[in-house]
Amino acid sequence: MTNSDSRETLEAREKLASAASSEVIIELEKVNKWYADFHVLKDIDLTVHKGERIVVCGPSGSGKSTLIRCINRLEEHQTGSIVVDGITLNKNLKNIDHIRTEVGMVFQSFNLFPHLSILENLTLGPIWTRHMPKAEARETAMMYLERVKIPEQADKFPGQLSGGQQQRVAIARSLCMSPKIMLFDEPTSALDPEMIKEVLDVMVELAETGMTMIVVTHEMGFAKTIADRVIFMDEGDVVEENEPNEFFTNPQHERTQLFLSQIL
Amino acid sequence: MAIVKLERTPARAAPLTERSVIGWMHKHLFSSALNSILTVITLYIIFITVRNLWAWGIADAVWIAESRRECFDINIGGACWAGVLAWMDNIIYGRYPREELWRLNLGLVLLAVWMAPLWLPRVKAKILIGLTVVFLYPFIAGYLFAGGDKGIFMQIMVTAAIVCLACNTVHSIIGVSGGVGLREFLIQRLGIKGSSENKQRSILLSILGLSFMAVFAWQKSWNPVGVPWTQWGGLFLTLLIAGVGIASALPGGIILALGRRSRLPVIRVLSTAFIELFRSVPLITVLFMATAMFPLFMPEGMVLNKLVQVMIAVCLFNACYMAETVRGGLQTIPKGQFEGAHTIGLGYWRTMGLIVMPQALKHMIPNIVGNFIGLLKDTTLVSIIGLFDILGMLRAVSVDITWRGLHTEPLIFGATLFFLICFVMSKYSRRLEQKLSTDHKH
Repeated sequence: MTNSDSRETLEAREKLASAASSEVIIELEKVNKWYADFHVLKDIDLTVHKGERIVVCGPSGSGKSTLIRCINRLEEHQTGSIVVDGITLNKNLKNIDHIRTEVGMVFQSFNLFPHLSILENLTLGPIWTRHMPKAEARETAMMYLERVKIPEQADKFPGQLSGGQQQRVAIARSLCMSPKIMLFDEPTSALDPEMIKEVLDVMVELAETGMTMIVVTHEMGFAKTIADRVIFMDEGDVVEENEPNEFFTNPQHERTQLFLSQIL
Repeated sequence: MAIVKLERTPARAAPLTERSVIGWMHKHLFSSALNSILTVITLYIIFITVRNLWAWGIADAVWIAESRRECFDINIGGACWAGVLAWMDNIIYGRYPREELWRLNLGLVLLAVWMAPLWLPRVKAKILIGLTVVFLYPFIAGYLFAGGDKGIFMQIMVTAAIVCLACNTVHSIIGVSGGVGLREFLIQRLGIKGSSENKQRSILLSILGLSFMAVFAWQKSWNPVGVPWTQWGGLFLTLLIAGVGIASALPGGIILALGRRSRLPVIRVLSTAFIELFRSVPLITVLFMATAMFPLFMPEGMVLNKLVQVMIAVCLFNACYMAETVRGGLQTIPKGQFEGAHTIGLGYWRTMGLIVMPQALKHMIPNIVGNFIGLLKDTTLVSIIGLFDILGMLRAVSVDITWRGLHTEPLIFGATLFFLICFVMSKYSRRLEQKLSTDHKH
């Protein structure tokens, strides 16, 4: 990391005073999950406050994606409890659909709907699950497209956009549902290097609005800029948890040290 | 030392061998001695076949004659098309009473009018129009074809179909010329644009109600003669069975495929068993079962006619084949699409209807049309269980006393007819596929 880089990070950091409040919005208690016999999540405890920004990192297969996918129940956990926005995640389908409208998610592979135009991708959720009038949904969608800086692409189809643009559309699609929490599952891992920045910029701007965010990423510069807390996972355990400055300069656990030495 | 190329290399035309006819022939037909010989032999075989076919079917053929004997007298080496022409009405309409043929033709015209808006630009609510074709057209068509007394249910459905067709047609004409729907058009014309939504709705509904009453009163006096199904036949019967099969196979197949992928074990096992049972039995067996065994399971005193039994059998059989096609299509949709839909709060049915099915169906068009073509050809099997469909009629020509022994010509005519219908379907599916894939590049 060069000097100018770290100065930039510091400046951005100053703008991004933590928005975390004392209100708890996500609470995981002793969460365990198995894929058949494979123990993916081991006794995970995690408390997230409203407005908090958390970065989850760790080697592949450590369970970090599974962890955030459990939070909006794309995956089912087997034991322990997950409470999101006051609602306990259980077999009740109504609860799940409700949680999913409150929790936005951005995937590594974008998962836009290729048969719908960008605008239709954005308005689908509000129209069908929020029962918003079409004109209003379109207005909201255009507003968010402005915010991710691609309003001119509204009538194109996802296949005609670059990866970075598609990921920004995916972020806008989630925001259209006005979620309380945003989950990011390696949002920049599938992107060409020159497109990573445009997506991260949008995410930093989102952080400035005080959104509660949990981000699984390997972009350590990004983690330093926005995170209130960095969580390091390995083999299904939360190995280390710290505020970013301390985490990067003074890692405690040897597995964290090894991981950081390999990626920095 | 750095190597820098300052000028851009301009694009040049491809060499002549890549873009001239001679170049193409050289590359594809005469690339080696062996290939040249094969090309010449193949061309010779094609030439002989076409020449003989031309001589028999066109040049030496007899078009006007009273009987097969007369054909022989005129030219014994040519085809006797006169026989096919004399039987043409039978081949197309079966033994339907000749003075009532207009009813079949009207049925076809109504179908065309009803479905035409689906291909017209600027017409809105195409899905709704498509659904009314599937759910209302059968009633008016069925009544047109069968005639006779109609019960109160049939009267209501026929009226609904007529009103719906009228609305569709007006809606489409307005749509093509003005680009608005019937609803907005009426609201503008009646000058109730400023009124509240409830008032608009009640005015429109009362217009609809009034037209329904008017048509209902009119159709009471309309009473065509009954034609029993035993007199239905020919191409009409073939298209009827195939049409019913096509219209029901896709929805049935989608339901069965979703059932087979269901998380609920009972539904999954039942769907799988049903699909596998029908797919492992030949259609002809299913047809025999339907006509011979189905009545045994019916409640005492309830008698379905053979045609209905055959139609049910064809529908179930093809729904099972379609289910496997649909399942294949569903498997091409990546898991991420489901997850993307779930994260914006769409439940199972909306995910399927808005996200998965539209994409899967697009992938499946070639297979679906392939199924339809197979279905159309398979319906000729009903001639074995005693229905006089087109194949039955074509074979009946040879037992007519005047045309005794005339086998080849009717069958060739039938083959050509089938080829034309299937070829058009397959060409259309190609076009549809291309259109949908260029609309949404990905």
